[in-house]
Amino acid sequence: MSQFMLLLYQNPAGMQNLSPEEMQKAIEKYMAWTKKPFTVDAKRLAPDPGRVLRSNNGKPRAADGPYSETKEILGGFYLIEAANYDEAVKLAMEHPHLEYGGTIEVRELYRM
Amino acid sequence: MPSVQTGLLLEHLFRRQAGRITAHLTRLLGPAQLDLAEEAVQEAMVRAMETWPYQGVPDNPIAWLFRVAHNAAIDAVRRGRVAAEKQAPLLAELVRASVRAPDDPGIEDQLRDDELRMIFMCCHPAIPHEARIALSLKTVGGFSVREIARAFLADDRAIAQRLVRAKRQILESRLSLAMPATCELPERLDSVMETIYFMFNEGYAAHEGQDLVRQDLCCEALRLARLLAASSVAAPKVHALTALIALNTARVPARTDEAGDLVLLEDQDRSRWDQKLIALGFHHFDLSISGDEVSQYHVQAALAATYARYDGLHAIDWNLILELFDQLASTGSPVVLLNRAVAVERVHGPERALEEIERLSEAPKIHRYYLYLAVRGHLLLKLERRAEAAACFRQALECPCSEPERRFLRRKLAEC
Repeated sequence: MSQFMLLLYQNPAGMQNLSPEEMQKAIEKYMAWTKKPFTVDAKRLAPDPGRVLRSNNGKPRAADGPYSETKEILGGFYLIEAANYDEAVKLAMEHPHLEYGGTIEVRELYRM
Repeated sequence: MPSVQTGLLLEHLFRRQAGRITAHLTRLLGPAQLDLAEEAVQEAMVRAMETWPYQGVPDNPIAWLFRVAHNAAIDAVRRGRVAAEKQAPLLAELVRASVRAPDDPGIEDQLRDDELRMIFMCCHPAIPHEARIALSLKTVGGFSVREIARAFLADDRAIAQRLVRAKRQILESRLSLAMPATCELPERLDSVMETIYFMFNEGYAAHEGQDLVRQDLCCEALRLARLLAASSVAAPKVHALTALIALNTARVPARTDEAGDLVLLEDQDRSRWDQKLIALGFHHFDLSISGDEVSQYHVQAALAATYARYDGLHAIDWNLILELFDQLASTGSPVVLLNRAVAVERVHGPERALEEIERLSEAPKIHRYYLYLAVRGHLLLKLERRAEAAACFRQALECPCSEPERRFLRRKLAEC
């Protein structure tokens, strides 16, 4: 089994227009996916732009992250187990995030 | 309606909590800040949607939503959403309240009270009729504009405008969340009951559309009626209203068969009646009997109780039903008179019933009303006046009505 990282990007405007009932339905769908046996870990990132560190002429500097309110932001990640990319993509394809206008990036973890 | 845990969360948890938290925040902030309260609630729910799927549902989801909405309201006030001179007192009020909530054992009573006050404000006679239902569904019921529009078969913009007008009226008439004074109470209570009754009727008497949201209207009407019935302002007629909604809603699942065709009472599969709702309905029906007043709600509850008692073994007591309809007939409502005609037919025969509805033939637009034409056609068919009956059913088929009703009419036409 290989492990895959799913990076979930979301469009902040996409969820604002849902009704309370629709949001509850969405949460239930998301959680049903999270509870599947192939999920190893799931974490949500704090809703801030984060910091990006770079070294400029040998001097390390921190700046605010790349996310602005209008752009798709990295909202959270999952670590899942799958036999290969095909399977990982198939599993991620069923994630409700896509139905709610989000984007999922699938990356395999490097095996030593 | 009793809550059911179908998935991870109680059914309609978000919708219900949206109403309660909005009511709570509006009491703290004042009716002028209703929009701010609604936005804070929306923000809390979006936050839940963003975090719960990853971290799991909090141990106490209701307290979580409550706290996050509360904090969102505080942030909004700090960001200057309200006039500068009001900022400090509002913040003080919010902060003071957040210390109490939500572990305080008294909070449940407080929230019920907030919700009740909100219903009374949304149904204030100063707000136009149609807007009262929309406003109640939005602020107390936690429905979105789109959901309300779907339930009313209206477009989103029309509903949004109705809400804007209602909110403007709240400001202009300086409506408050204070419970009505004793002298005002009868009028205000009638207004609340009427709104709940229309909400129920809108869902129950659906002529078009199969949408589930219309059933949700019956459930929301029942929830509000129960809230009212459990409060200090409950009168026997409030119990009658609750009973009539519960007993009629209980039979909704059996009104259509699997193909979606209409099923008449005597042919209904009674195992599909909701027994919990029937028990609840009879409980409130018993409570409604105290006191001297016999309201319209009492009569309608008695009718619903007679139907709900039908066991398939004993004949339906049409004499009793006719007597009850006679009490309602003074309203002059065409719908009541048409339903009454069905009882007249059972007791006195089709000829008498036909004479009775002839009185309606002068009413404006009645010849475009499918129920009038369907009942008339039905009676003519019983009297073997087949050609006239067929003409009625054909005319009825041209009127606005739902697909199951249309199929029913076609079946009747084929019998002519």
